[in-house]
Amino acid sequence: MSIKKSEIEHLCNLSKLNLDEEEQSIFLSQMQSILEMIKELEGVDTGEIAPMAHPLQMSQRLREDEITEFNERDKYQKNTDFAEDGFYKVPKVID
Amino acid sequence: MSWETVIGLEIHVQLDTNSKIFSGASTSYGSEQNTNTSLVDLGYPGVLPVLNKDAVMMAIKFGLAINAEISRRSIFARKNYFYPDLPKGYQISQLELPIVQGGSLEIQLNDGTKKEVGITRAHLEEDAGKSIHDKFSNQTAIDLNRAGTPLLEIVSEPDIRSAEEASSYMQKIHQLVRYLKISDGNMQEGSFRCDANVSVRPFGQTEFGTRTEVKNINSFRFVENAINHEVERQIDRLENGDHIIQETRLYDPDKDETRPMRSKEEANDYRYFPDPDLLPLEIDQETIDKIAQSLPELFDEKVTRYIEALSIKQSDAEEIARNMQIAEYFEATLDHFSNDAQMVSNWILSEVIGVLNRENIEINTFQIKPKRLASLLSRVDDNTISSKIAKNLFNQMLTSADSADELIKQQGLEQITDEDSINKIVVEVLNEFSDQKDQYLEGKEQILGFLVGQVMQRTQGKANPRLVNELIIRQIKK
Amino acid sequence: MKRHTVRELQDMIADQSVSSDEVYQLYLNRIKAMNDSINAFISIESDETSSGTEENDSEIKGVPYALKDIFCSEGDKTTCGSKMLSNFVSPYDATVVKNLRKKGTIILGKTNMDEFAMGSSNETSFYGNVLNPWDTERTPGGSSGGSAAAVAAGMAPIALGTDTGGSIRQPAALTGITGLKPTYGRCSRYGMIAFASSLDQAGILSISAEDAAIFLEHMAGYDHKDSTSSMEEVPKYTEFLNDNLSGKVVGLPKEFFDGSLDSKYQGLVSDSIHEYEKMGIKFKDISLPNIKYSVPTYYVVAPAECSSNLARYDGVRFGHRSSDDSDLDAFYKKTRKEGFGQEVKRRIITGTYVLSAGYYDAYYLKAQKVRQLINQDFLNAFKEVDVIMGPTTQQSAFKLGEKVDDPVSMYMNDIYTISSNLSGVPAISHPIGFVDDLPFGMQVIAPHFMEHDLLNIVHKYQMVTDWHLQIPGICRELDR
Repeated sequence: MSIKKSEIEHLCNLSKLNLDEEEQSIFLSQMQSILEMIKELEGVDTGEIAPMAHPLQMSQRLREDEITEFNERDKYQKNTDFAEDGFYKVPKVID
Repeated sequence: MSWETVIGLEIHVQLDTNSKIFSGASTSYGSEQNTNTSLVDLGYPGVLPVLNKDAVMMAIKFGLAINAEISRRSIFARKNYFYPDLPKGYQISQLELPIVQGGSLEIQLNDGTKKEVGITRAHLEEDAGKSIHDKFSNQTAIDLNRAGTPLLEIVSEPDIRSAEEASSYMQKIHQLVRYLKISDGNMQEGSFRCDANVSVRPFGQTEFGTRTEVKNINSFRFVENAINHEVERQIDRLENGDHIIQETRLYDPDKDETRPMRSKEEANDYRYFPDPDLLPLEIDQETIDKIAQSLPELFDEKVTRYIEALSIKQSDAEEIARNMQIAEYFEATLDHFSNDAQMVSNWILSEVIGVLNRENIEINTFQIKPKRLASLLSRVDDNTISSKIAKNLFNQMLTSADSADELIKQQGLEQITDEDSINKIVVEVLNEFSDQKDQYLEGKEQILGFLVGQVMQRTQGKANPRLVNELIIRQIKK
Repeated sequence: MKRHTVRELQDMIADQSVSSDEVYQLYLNRIKAMNDSINAFISIESDETSSGTEENDSEIKGVPYALKDIFCSEGDKTTCGSKMLSNFVSPYDATVVKNLRKKGTIILGKTNMDEFAMGSSNETSFYGNVLNPWDTERTPGGSSGGSAAAVAAGMAPIALGTDTGGSIRQPAALTGITGLKPTYGRCSRYGMIAFASSLDQAGILSISAEDAAIFLEHMAGYDHKDSTSSMEEVPKYTEFLNDNLSGKVVGLPKEFFDGSLDSKYQGLVSDSIHEYEKMGIKFKDISLPNIKYSVPTYYVVAPAECSSNLARYDGVRFGHRSSDDSDLDAFYKKTRKEGFGQEVKRRIITGTYVLSAGYYDAYYLKAQKVRQLINQDFLNAFKEVDVIMGPTTQQSAFKLGEKVDDPVSMYMNDIYTISSNLSGVPAISHPIGFVDDLPFGMQVIAPHFMEHDLLNIVHKYQMVTDWHLQIPGICRELDR
């Protein structure tokens, strides 16, 4: 179960990360050892057991359908220099 | 080669809650950009989702209305991908254990045949924001007001076999969500969106052909056009020896064609996994039962009731029941006047709807409320006024707040039903128009209308036409 | 230099022998004197937007504390140790911060940490390494390295941290202080920048268990903004501190005592066991058979969740943003390349891998099942014993740079601590002695929501020992 460079590239695309050549090589070998470590799980007999998604036996609480948040656009948009006319901006997307 | 079309529809319905599915920001449409966005909707560091109760109740309502199974335990999952209108970089949706599973809907085709369309599932998820491409010259503007609005995604089985069936199914779902009051179904505003999965196969083949997904269908007419076009395109290709590429295509209503979407992900792997910020949603039987009891009477039941209990003509019953608000108006009118449901139905279908169409308004803003209409119609029913006069009053009531009785009194419009006074006029008319009287006696029966008209004129329309009719005949025969 | 406990400060402020302003100044001066050599703080002083709703009779009114820079505090730069958030000023308070503000506490500053809480040595921070006050050539542990160093060096009487795989307990052990990870769901996660949502928990680094008890009372509790927050009532932990320990049964998992611990550390552990026995505690051998799978399980679950949690850092609404705007894809990739460090990228890629099509069942689903097994081991053990004890780490503080190139070796640092995060049970580390002048810690693990037991046990130990009161040489001369 070894990981290929093309797989690293694919994962970078999915997660929108850029790795340069050097980083890719380093990551490749590091990922290899990480995967070796994780591989141990394969042999564990988990039988019919259910996966544990949460540590507590609770169920989802429901919130009343009320408006509790109000317009704070100007305050929040202070966190970016790239808002204009109240819009956020990104490089043009072609649909 | 004979081809069979196989279609499955995915309909996204915006649920009509006040606040978003996972945050307390408002869902109101048309607000200024980014003014309905809380930190949760913006995907800020450290924020967490909390589930809107009404969104859940609405989903359950829908599930019960289509006879589906309501999952006692359902899970929210993250669908991971990058897009500027998706602030968290993932959409909270449901994958393996959706809240509604199974169910079906009966649709009726133009030729009257009925067909049952299976529904695979319906699940809750959050809507994304909006990208606006023409606001800035070389950038895309992002408005996240819509991000976090609750959606119910309804997935049909691939049971649909024609564009007409698809349109019928889409309309039925549309009617249902409005009936249940879980969505306003406004396609122009994006509250009701439809994608179609279309494929073809040779008749008799059991395997499905490769399918394409057609998006941007926002009217019933478009769904038929889009599907017809896509089917034609696919058959064309296959008959030419080409294969169908599995892809997403956008319907362009101006050109009436579908074209591949350029930005669509190259085999995007969404890496679904249960959202660790949300716990399993558990719904007890009591809640389900309570909602079941609160379900409104649905279309089919209503139509049957109108026909059987109220003796309305089938086509009229269907037309009234088709729109929940019209049906409610109809029933509210009957609460005040129940002697002649067919008359009420007639008036609504012609007079009332006539005004709605002319003035381009909804029944909710119609000036004559059920009670007033009821009082007007009861005066026709008890012969106080004629139907013709009633129509006149109806028009007056559009701009006057007066009741029917007030107007009748003010204008002295009570029908004349006193035989003697009418007879006097009948005699006058017959004397003046003795030629026409003779024509009648010679067998030209339609001339009666003219004579009735003359009497009506002399009574300013107030004489009871039926009585006039009767008395003229009697008088002539004397 | 005196390292005042919160308890002492409480008394001093209450009897007015010192004002809260004076207390604040004292710590601020120490920070200014020491931070250059320890680098425990990323930012000093906080935007004290007093809401005026502080309770007048709060017992911790005026007590200052250090806040790990993973917690959003309104008006303050909140960086999470990353370049990605180097310009981010939080518009809101995390719930635990809000809770403490209501009680009149004061934030001394935001402490340094491994980037996005990923690390065990505080060597991945964009703001530079934190140095261990006991030996500045060594790491203080991580990811709450800054909080640990701050408390150890007397720069703050107490600090908040977060623990996802040991990030409070391990640095506490390596810096000779007390570190508490409460039960998952005990404290609200709202406002705590997410790393691994089903594992993260807010906790406390302090000089004593008593101090942790005092702060936990005010920090913990149900939060309607956090769906994973527990409605379990918050007890008055301080009331349990002096309960008699005799008759308590403590489990020693044979997996923690398998001979891999060096004898000099084993010696300290034996001494502390002896100390506990003197207080009436009975020790029993137990087994947690699946515990050996904790590290691989964690390194599937945590990266998976983090790869998704960190997708929001795209430069569009806040945070670092690349100037490359040629096209959307390049923009995202450049922003995230520039904003994230190596370890973060590594975990995102690992996480993306284990969730990807074809691998989900074999890795993520499998790991969540093994997690259930580990949880069951704890539940079974707690049928026989009240709490579990064992070493917190396999060694004392290691040298800077020693493990940075070997991620797996770094990950093995968490071997004793990770299982409590997977199961959600509470755990506390406390100092039990020194090896070669470096502190070493022991861990106590309790069943869900039994923090009062942990605090009671450690408090009693701290009443008859003074390991927790030892002060690093580097700060002995402070305040002169």
